[in-house]
Amino acid sequence: MIKLFGKSAELQLEKDVSTRYLPVVISAMIFLAALSIGGLFSLSNAINTWSETLTGNLTAEIAYDPAIDLDQEVTTAVKLLSETPGVTAARAIEKDETLKLLEPFLGKNAALSELPVPRLIEIIIAEDSAIDLAALNEKLVAAVPGARLDINRPWLDKMVTLGRSIQVLAAAIMLLIGGVTVIIVIFAVRTGLIMHSEVIQVLHLIGARDNYIAEQFQNYFSRLSFLGALPGLIVAIFVMFIFNFLVGSLEASMLPPLSLGIEGSIALLLLPFLVALLTKYTVRQVVLKSLGRMM
Amino acid sequence: MVRFENVGMRYGMGPEVLRDISFHLRPGSFHFLTGPTGAGKSSLLKLLALSHRPSRGLVTLFNKEVSTLARDDLPAMRRKIGVVYQDFRLLDHLSALDNVALPLKIAGARDEQIYQHVAELLDWVGLGNQVDAKPPTLSGGEKQRVAIARAVINRPQLLIADEPTGSMDAEMGLRLMYLFQELNKIGTTVVVATHDLDLIQRFGNPVMYLKDGLLSSRSAANIPAQFSESEG
Ligand SMILES: Nc1ncnc2c1ncn2[C@@H]1O[C@H](COP(=O)(O)OP(=O)(O)OP(=O)(O)O)[C@@H](O)[C@H]1O
Ligand SMILES: [Mg+2]
Repeated sequence: MIKLFGKSAELQLEKDVSTRYLPVVISAMIFLAALSIGGLFSLSNAINTWSETLTGNLTAEIAYDPAIDLDQEVTTAVKLLSETPGVTAARAIEKDETLKLLEPFLGKNAALSELPVPRLIEIIIAEDSAIDLAALNEKLVAAVPGARLDINRPWLDKMVTLGRSIQVLAAAIMLLIGGVTVIIVIFAVRTGLIMHSEVIQVLHLIGARDNYIAEQFQNYFSRLSFLGALPGLIVAIFVMFIFNFLVGSLEASMLPPLSLGIEGSIALLLLPFLVALLTKYTVRQVVLKSLGRMM
Repeated sequence: MVRFENVGMRYGMGPEVLRDISFHLRPGSFHFLTGPTGAGKSSLLKLLALSHRPSRGLVTLFNKEVSTLARDDLPAMRRKIGVVYQDFRLLDHLSALDNVALPLKIAGARDEQIYQHVAELLDWVGLGNQVDAKPPTLSGGEKQRVAIARAVINRPQLLIADEPTGSMDAEMGLRLMYLFQELNKIGTTVVVATHDLDLIQRFGNPVMYLKDGLLSSRSAANIPAQFSESEG
């Protein structure tokens, strides 16, 4: 690793006490950044799943009532729903089919056909439709007593909106972390420049180019950043595993487990390299600017 | 090689420490620079070493007027100038060997070419046993010799030495002056600042005499026997 970044032979920045804190701070920053990325990608995966559910179907349910002709009710409801703008199709689910859906819970039994199961209607909603589900529900209830629209859609809608807002927040946190990291690095480099001003001057007078000096600084600091990033990242991954373990052990939890997906995992693994690059670029700018003021 | 025209210099907002300095050094010449303490010798050498800019006047080095140089041109110019500083300016955390090797490294020479050469030179200045010593563990005279070795290692065209023999005994001082003389013979332009009037008398090179920031040039025979003599 040391070889990869080269070493700061003449400046001996390694011996600075003042920059020893940098890896610790970078570590904390990367920890936070990794958690943000974890949240960001898990949420985006969850949102995709929710959105798929949304664009998929919706069910209406007509309660069992031995006193009325259910088939008649179903026909009325299907007709009403099919004619609603935004609905692509409405289809009655046959009793057999309904029973099949319940089979895993109730088991196969001849007596099942006598059960008071509600009748279901599958509704397929056009993509990007803006149906007012509450209004449709009222209309349905008025036309068919005992009918009820399964309105988990508004709830999901709100979840998606919430998810998106949290994503924006996570992205903002990432930006903030990036900004703070840059500021910390700038201060560390400035301190280094002051502490080594005499050596820098000697190197200059011997004929070193700005680039030569800047490289020693940028290599040293990007190495510090990279090495600091690793423990932060490892701890963050560990924390996410623990979180998933806890979520998994809670039955029927409200919280979805974190699932990064491939993109998320790649983003996480790129994090140390990104912070090393960011450090390198920042250090270079600061050093060159400061050297530019010398003769 | 070197030309100063009405050069003045001040530190920050302070008074002028050099006033109306004009002189010309031909390539291959060997000059002494002398004068009482505080006269401005080191300041003049800083202008020569491209470490400071004049506050007025023109300084021309290697046929280029310094104020017209771009920042990027300076390193190449500085590599043609070897400087022995009055306060040595060695890097304390590097060994004597690495200190002397530094100009070669910075100029991009490869390691295997560097070290043999550097070790020989250190041997020649009598530091063969201390190549791995760090400057803080060396005596004043030893540090000075490391500084001299660093200044001459890449055969500069212009060699500037500020009190190069002030910290060592006369014998070692002479040895190093002969080194400068040898370098001068192969074409190096040399400027040595010194208080040592005996040394000036012994070598007999032309002398630049600096007093109160003003320069006059004279032959070795013509300098005051003591700086306190208020003459000229
Ligand atoms: N870095 C500095 N900042 C401000 N003033 C300085 C600085 N260096 C030197 N001076 C002033 O410039 C004047 C000339 O100093 P300089 O070092 O050039 O003298 P010198 O001839 O080399 O003396 P010495 O023989 O003692 O080495 C002195 O008055 C000194 O106080
Ligand atoms: Mg001096």
